[in-house]
Amino acid sequence: MNMKLVLATTFAALMAAPAVAQDGDKLKEVLDRGYLILGSGSTNPPWHFMDGDNQLTGFDIDMGRLVAKALFGDPDKIEYVQQSGDARIPNLATGKVDLTCQFMTVTAERAQQVEFTIPYYREGVGLLLMEGGDYADYEALKAGGSDVTVAVLQNVYAEEMVHTALPEATVDQYDSVDLMYQALNSGRAEAAATDQSALRWFMVQNPGRYLDAGYGWNPQTYACAVQPGDQRWLNFVNTVLHEGMTGVEFPFYSASFEKWFGTELESPQIGFPVEYK
Amino acid sequence: MNFTLFFADLWTARMNLLNGLGQTVLISVGSVFLGTLLGVAVGLALTYGHWLLRFVVRIYTDFLRGTPVFVLILACFYILSVVGIDLSAFEAGVLALTLFCSSHVGEIVRGALSAISKGQTEAAKSIGLTFRQSFVYVLMPQALRQILPTWVNTATEIVKASTLLSIIGVVEFLLATQQVISRTYLSLEFYLFAGVVYFLVNFAIEQAGRFVERRIAIPN
Repeated sequence: MNMKLVLATTFAALMAAPAVAQDGDKLKEVLDRGYLILGSGSTNPPWHFMDGDNQLTGFDIDMGRLVAKALFGDPDKIEYVQQSGDARIPNLATGKVDLTCQFMTVTAERAQQVEFTIPYYREGVGLLLMEGGDYADYEALKAGGSDVTVAVLQNVYAEEMVHTALPEATVDQYDSVDLMYQALNSGRAEAAATDQSALRWFMVQNPGRYLDAGYGWNPQTYACAVQPGDQRWLNFVNTVLHEGMTGVEFPFYSASFEKWFGTELESPQIGFPVEYK
Repeated sequence: MNFTLFFADLWTARMNLLNGLGQTVLISVGSVFLGTLLGVAVGLALTYGHWLLRFVVRIYTDFLRGTPVFVLILACFYILSVVGIDLSAFEAGVLALTLFCSSHVGEIVRGALSAISKGQTEAAKSIGLTFRQSFVYVLMPQALRQILPTWVNTATEIVKASTLLSIIGVVEFLLATQQVISRTYLSLEFYLFAGVVYFLVNFAIEQAGRFVERRIAIPN
């Protein structure tokens, strides 16, 4: 059954029904309740997944924790709604969650149904190489022409996607992530093309074995989302995220970024605000 | 397949998986129990009800039996909350499965009751039994023997349908398994494991059903 279609239909039915009662003061509601209801997934590392101790964790979860910390001074005051990717928009529309942070790509279509916060990450495709392999970086891969084989997860657009960056490369498609990485390990492929976040997370888990070719393309913006119509709540979440990336909560944001993506962020420049540069 | 890693990860994730299995059992037992109660009422209404009641209940069963469980689950979770009934994901899921189960049990009960020949009811009447008495002492014992095998079948269907609750965020056994897979990448091993566990649960239900069938069988 086409899950997306069914959900879209359900959603259309919801839109036709009278809007969910809303008094327009979500911030007060959440503060009075004493905890944040955060919608996120549980099956996509490093974004949102169960760690070995059976706790939800990941970069998305940390963004929710940042908001909870701002609300209650305690990042643990969260009730999680573990939702599938398809449930992100319906759960916001029906008010089942206060906030969704679930690697949600910002698109104009979605922006008509939910209200996006400011972005907290920019996703893109990157190339993973073996440390000490024949090709040192993106330039070398490009110069390699059709001698270079790129492993990629099977997808209708996979070939086109790889050829955007490496027009002459040979593309081998694989059914699953582990097979793709195996192709790289065994030398059947010189590079693996995958999401930057997945690539970084893989490098964090296997230190010293892999290399990022240093080229990213196919940009996608990830933002949290709220139910439309409550500017106060949206402003609040925006402020929290913004100060996480540029202000007092920068240590929280950057520690999380380094934990999941292995990169130490440069502290925002002091003096003239970075936003206007 | 890497079974050394699998067993290590299985041990690490044991609590998560056990919780998931607990949810699956709770959802299934709850839905089958409530669905059976409701289903018996539906079956009785379909067999002995006033024509108007029969008509309404007929629409109810046909509608539910003709709708994918998946759609029922989404409807209970989302549409009900729009009209102001705010059920948790767990409650909405159990409600959907209960409704689905009741429609099937209703049909099973109706079928079993109508399969008993009319002579039985007439004989019961002729020895002076009231309708209640003839139902309890004559019809129900015979119908039960008919109902049991198909009822067991419905119960196993509900166990399998409970996996669909993962879509609305109930961490039942399948979602718990997927959570482990997403961390360990051992997809084949853990899906195989999940398959075996679901089989064992359903096998246990079927064996229990057979046992009861043998106990209540009319001795030759």
